[in-house]
Amino acid sequence: MSITEEKTPVFKSWSRWYLLVLAALVLSIVGFYLFTLYFS
Amino acid sequence: MSYIDWIVLISTLLLIVLYGIYKSRGSRNIDGFLLANQSLPWYHVGLSVMATQASAITFLSAPGQAYTDGMRFVQFYFGLPVAMVVLCITFVPIFHRLKVYTAYEFLENRFDLKTRALTAFLFLLQRGLSTGITIYAPSIILSTILGLDIRATTLFIGFLVIIYTVYGGTKAVSYTHMLQMGIIFMGMFVAGYMVVHLLPEQVTFVDALKLAGKSGRLNVVDWNFDLSNRYNVWSGLIGGFFLALSYFGTDQSQVGRYLSAKSVSESRLGLIMNGLVKIPMQFLILLVGALVFVFYLFHSAPLQFNPNERNKILQSEHAAEYLLLEKNYNELSIEKGRQAEHLVSAMHTGTEQQVEIHRQALNDAQHKADNIRKASKELMMKSDASSDTDDSNYVFLTFVTSYLPKGLIGLLIAIIFLASMGSTASGLNSLASTTVVDIYKRLIYKNGSDHHYLSASRWSTIGWGVFCMIVALFANRLGNLIEAVNILGSLFYGTILGIFLVAFYFKQIKGQVVFFAALIAEALVIMSYIFDLTAFLWLNVIGCALVIMISFMLKPFIKPRPDQG
Repeated sequence: MSITEEKTPVFKSWSRWYLLVLAALVLSIVGFYLFTLYFS
Repeated sequence: MSYIDWIVLISTLLLIVLYGIYKSRGSRNIDGFLLANQSLPWYHVGLSVMATQASAITFLSAPGQAYTDGMRFVQFYFGLPVAMVVLCITFVPIFHRLKVYTAYEFLENRFDLKTRALTAFLFLLQRGLSTGITIYAPSIILSTILGLDIRATTLFIGFLVIIYTVYGGTKAVSYTHMLQMGIIFMGMFVAGYMVVHLLPEQVTFVDALKLAGKSGRLNVVDWNFDLSNRYNVWSGLIGGFFLALSYFGTDQSQVGRYLSAKSVSESRLGLIMNGLVKIPMQFLILLVGALVFVFYLFHSAPLQFNPNERNKILQSEHAAEYLLLEKNYNELSIEKGRQAEHLVSAMHTGTEQQVEIHRQALNDAQHKADNIRKASKELMMKSDASSDTDDSNYVFLTFVTSYLPKGLIGLLIAIIFLASMGSTASGLNSLASTTVVDIYKRLIYKNGSDHHYLSASRWSTIGWGVFCMIVALFANRLGNLIEAVNILGSLFYGTILGIFLVAFYFKQIKGQVVFFAALIAEALVIMSYIFDLTAFLWLNVIGCALVIMISFMLKPFIKPRPDQG
């Protein structure tokens, strides 16, 4: 099966997957910032 | 170590070796040996990518770093998820479409043979040295804790990895990674639980976090932009992005993991898994180190965690001075424990003002303790200038062997061994792939049979295994090991990434130009490091940017050879 024929798993497109990864990163940074503030 | 720990340690290591050999039976051709016949599912790829990066260094140095310096090291990984996205979009489909064995094959298609050979050479140099350090890391465990000769332990680990890597190639490496990561995740959880469990009864998990935070050990995020500061959000996002892109996109030890996936989708999912899991995993490992710091607020910590260095100074003319420092340090430990208890009580029932008073008192005691530690290190250097005073690699081990119950010590030491074996196996596998595919098959012996190259790959694995063991024997002067590996990577990765980015995005630049640009850029990066012009993470950005900029500067002056497309 060629690359273009491969179906994206779970989501409609790979862009959704990439968005998920970047959103998790942003949430992590914000979460860590609040964690630092709360416990310092 | 008790006999129960020995049984746990040896049976775990044997299980991994036998499992790797069993699962990889049938790897009888070069495709099977180097690419596992491109048959692996995404979770194999994801766990294998993570196991390759998470060496023993991760479990030895990271908790020690959190103990001495806080958790800010986690910012180093902020660029990684972004790099995973770029890899999925650009690198993965191209490598799969060209059906390459190594990342460097692509460079000959795009540029020329000498650019491919130069990049492969830079990789072999960097990866050979780094893999040596990953063997050394667990060797210090047995040599320090059990009093064995470090040379014997280095050889033992090296041979253990060589056995299943030579036998089963990529498939053995990948299957053992799966099992290793399972055991490692379990061990991390147990270690974290045990640290909290061993705290005084009145100290809850949240109290422990508050104590760590008030002592400056939960400094996870630092927004200040400072080029000389190794770890802040910006160096992590920008420098870490370039380092991760280079490491996962151009280092064969990682490219080999996702090239063994059965499709582009499986490769992408494996990398996405890494992008989602890596930062939380690293955060938890560092958190264990911060909790160990809290544990030592209530228990007397050694002035020097490395027992060999302590023994050395006690046999010198400075022994009396050192013992006096140790006495003062132990008295301060009692004071710290008392202040920590007061602070916990104040947090439970006191006013904000009382909390602040006890926080200040605890920090003052900690500051005095830090000064004594500094003075003891200066004394060690005065006694012997070759002393290795950075004991952060020993912090977690000292805790494990001193306070964990029988059986768990063996399990946690096994985990450190497994982590080392996992990344060493990937390292040897990739060194063999690159040596055989990019150097031997391309430049030395072009028309051999499949069986000949399979045999060459196995011999190459053995040869690199021996080289890495020799490097491991000389790795004890590199300070904090996790930083040593990352600094070594940063010296070469920027240039290698620059070559690949020019290949992908600047079609007008040809091989002759990028080759000379890479040579100049690498010389400038090494000079930047020698003259300490910037924190090491930025070397990745500098190396990469220099290759691209110099390529454009040289382009008008260097005409491509007629045979270059």
